[in-house]
Amino acid sequence: NMNSFFLSLLVGLLFSKDYVKPTEIDRKKWKGEGTTPNLESIVIGRCYEYIRLVNPNVGEKNCTEIWEAFKNAFINKDPCNILPSDYELFINLSVHTIPPNKALFWENNHLLVTSYSDKSRRYMPLCDTLIASFGDFLNWCGQANDTGFDYDSCPMTEECENNAVESFWRIASITYAKQSSGVIYVMLNGSAIGGAYPVKGFFADYELPNLQKDRISRIEIWVMDDIGGPDLDSCGKGSVQILEERLKTMGYDITCIDNYKSVLLLKCLDYPYHSDCSIFSSAPSTQRRLVSSERGNSWSRLIYTIFVAFVFEICFNP
Amino acid sequence: MPFPNRSSRTRQRIVLLVGIMVLIVTIVVVLAAVLAHGRKESSVQLLEWKGRGTTKNLQEVILGRCYNYITTVNPELRDKDCQKIWETMKNAFVYKNPCNITTEDYQPLLDLASHPVPCNKSLFWSKTNDLVHRYTKANHNLFTLEDTLLGYMTDGVSWCGSPSRPGINYESCPKWSECESNPSTVYWKMASKMFAEAACGVVQVMLNGSVDDAFRSSSIFGSVEIFNLDPDKVSAVQIWLMHNIGGPHRESCVGHSITKLTSILEERNLSVSCEDNYRPVQLLQCTSDPDHADCRLCTSNVQ
Repeated sequence: NMNSFFLSLLVGLLFSKDYVKPTEIDRKKWKGEGTTPNLESIVIGRCYEYIRLVNPNVGEKNCTEIWEAFKNAFINKDPCNILPSDYELFINLSVHTIPPNKALFWENNHLLVTSYSDKSRRYMPLCDTLIASFGDFLNWCGQANDTGFDYDSCPMTEECENNAVESFWRIASITYAKQSSGVIYVMLNGSAIGGAYPVKGFFADYELPNLQKDRISRIEIWVMDDIGGPDLDSCGKGSVQILEERLKTMGYDITCIDNYKSVLLLKCLDYPYHSDCSIFSSAPSTQRRLVSSERGNSWSRLIYTIFVAFVFEICFNP
Repeated sequence: MPFPNRSSRTRQRIVLLVGIMVLIVTIVVVLAAVLAHGRKESSVQLLEWKGRGTTKNLQEVILGRCYNYITTVNPELRDKDCQKIWETMKNAFVYKNPCNITTEDYQPLLDLASHPVPCNKSLFWSKTNDLVHRYTKANHNLFTLEDTLLGYMTDGVSWCGSPSRPGINYESCPKWSECESNPSTVYWKMASKMFAEAACGVVQVMLNGSVDDAFRSSSIFGSVEIFNLDPDKVSAVQIWLMHNIGGPHRESCVGHSITKLTSILEERNLSVSCEDNYRPVQLLQCTSDPDHADCRLCTSNVQ
C-alpha cells in the first residue's frame, strides 16, 4: 500500500544521503533554534495587552522603552556572554508586585500551571507577569559586532550557560521570588524522571534562595502525578522530602498535598473516564466521547511528509 | 505743525503702547474663548456614546496578537501578513461614522485573516463566555471563534471611529442599543457567519442552563450561527447544557428553549443531540469548587 511504498523510498533516500553534500543545517553556528520572527511586534503587543487588558493594576508603562531595555541587554554582544545583570534596566522598568497569596512556583508542568492559573485570575505564576510576557514561548539572541538578531540559530545552555535566554529566565525567576508574599504555592510533578524537586533547577537555584522570609506566612507544596503516570515521588518521600527538609531548615512553615484535588480535576479534563479520575465519575455517560479518527491517517501523513522533505532537500540543495 | 515738546511726545507714545497692548490682550482673550469653545464642541462630539471607548494602543495589541497567533499558537498560518491585516482592519472603521459600518467595510479583513478549522472541532457557545474559553485553553482540541485568528485578535477589545480627528474614538463607542451597524456588532456578526459556514463534521455548542432561556433567538448564536451551518457539511450538532456548580437549574435538555433550538436545527436537516452537564466541562467547573457536593459524585473508591 501507499505507506510501505513511501517507507521504502524513504529508506532508500536515507542511504543515498551519504553521497549528498552537507546541507545548510550542518553549517549553522549554534544548536538551538534562531530568534522568533517578528519578536518586536509580538513582545510590544504582549506588553500593551498586559497593561491594558490582563492586569491594568500595574499602571502606565512605556512598552517601547521596556523593549529597548530588553534588546540592549543582548544585542551587539557575544551571545555567550550575556549575564542576568545585563537585564537590570529592563527588570526595573517592568517589575510589578505580585498580589499576596498568589505566587505559584513550579517544576515540570509549564502547560498545566498556565491552564490552572487562568491568566492570573486564580494565581499569578511567573508566566502571568509582565516580565515573562517578554519571553514566554519565545527565543532570541544577538551576535557580536552586529546590531541585528540572529534568526538562524542561538546557543543552547549546554553550549554556553551565559546566553540571552538563560540569563533572562534567571533574573526573571530571582525577581519573581523577591516579589512574592503571603502563602506561597509550589506545584511539582510526581511522575517526573529525576524527581519531582530537581535539586539543580530554576526553583532550587534562583527562586528558593530569593524568597523574602519575613513576608511569607507559609509554603504549600502540591505533588501532581500524571494521569495514568507512575507515582515516582510524593510528599515525605524522595526528592520532595529533600525539599521539605530544606524549607524546614530555612525556618518555613510547610504543608504538602499529594494530587491536590482542584488541580487534579483540571488534569482529568483530558481523561474524564480514566480510573485515576474515578473519584469524580458519576454513572458512565450515555453520550460516547468523540474519539479522534485521525490517528491512523496521521502516521501515513508523517511518512509522506518526511519523504517529500527529503526529496526537496536533495533536489533543491545542490 | 508746531514742534511738539518732549513730554507730550512721550505721553503720546505711552498712550499708543498701552493701546496696542490692550488690543493684543483682547485678541488673545477672544481667540482663547473661541478655541476653548471649539474644543469643547469637538470633545462633546466624541463623548457621545454609552459603550467603552477604543482600547488604548489598539494597533500594538492587534499586531502583537496577530504575530503571536501565527508564530506560537497556530504556526500553519506563518505566511499571513499581519501588517496588511491590521491595515485592512483600520480602514474598515477609522474616520468613519460608527453607526454606519457595512459588511463591505470588513470584507477585505475577513478575506485576509480567515483560515479553515478542522472538521469535528468547531465549538459554538452562548452565555458561557468564561467557561467555554477556559475549556478550550485547557483542552486544545476544540476551537471557538475566539481561538481562530480573527477572533483571537479582537477578543475583549473594543474599537470605533469618528469622522473628526484623530479618526478613532478613545472615549466611547456606540452600544448595540444605540445603533446596530456599529463596528463591533457588524464585525462579530460577519466573523460568526463565516465561522459557522466553515464548520464541518460534528459541531458542539455550549449553552447555559442556569439562566432563563439557555437558547435565545436574539443572540448571535440564535440569529446568525445556526442559520449558517451547512447541512451538507455538518453531520450533527451536539448540545452541552451546562449548569453552574450548585445550580440553579433553569433549563434542561428537554426544556422549552432547547426544544425550540432542536426544532430549528432539525428543520434545516441537521441531526441534534443534547447532554446535561457534559462531564469534562463539569470537571473544569469543579476546579473552582472541588469540595462541592456536585463535584463529589463518587463510586466505591474514595481517597
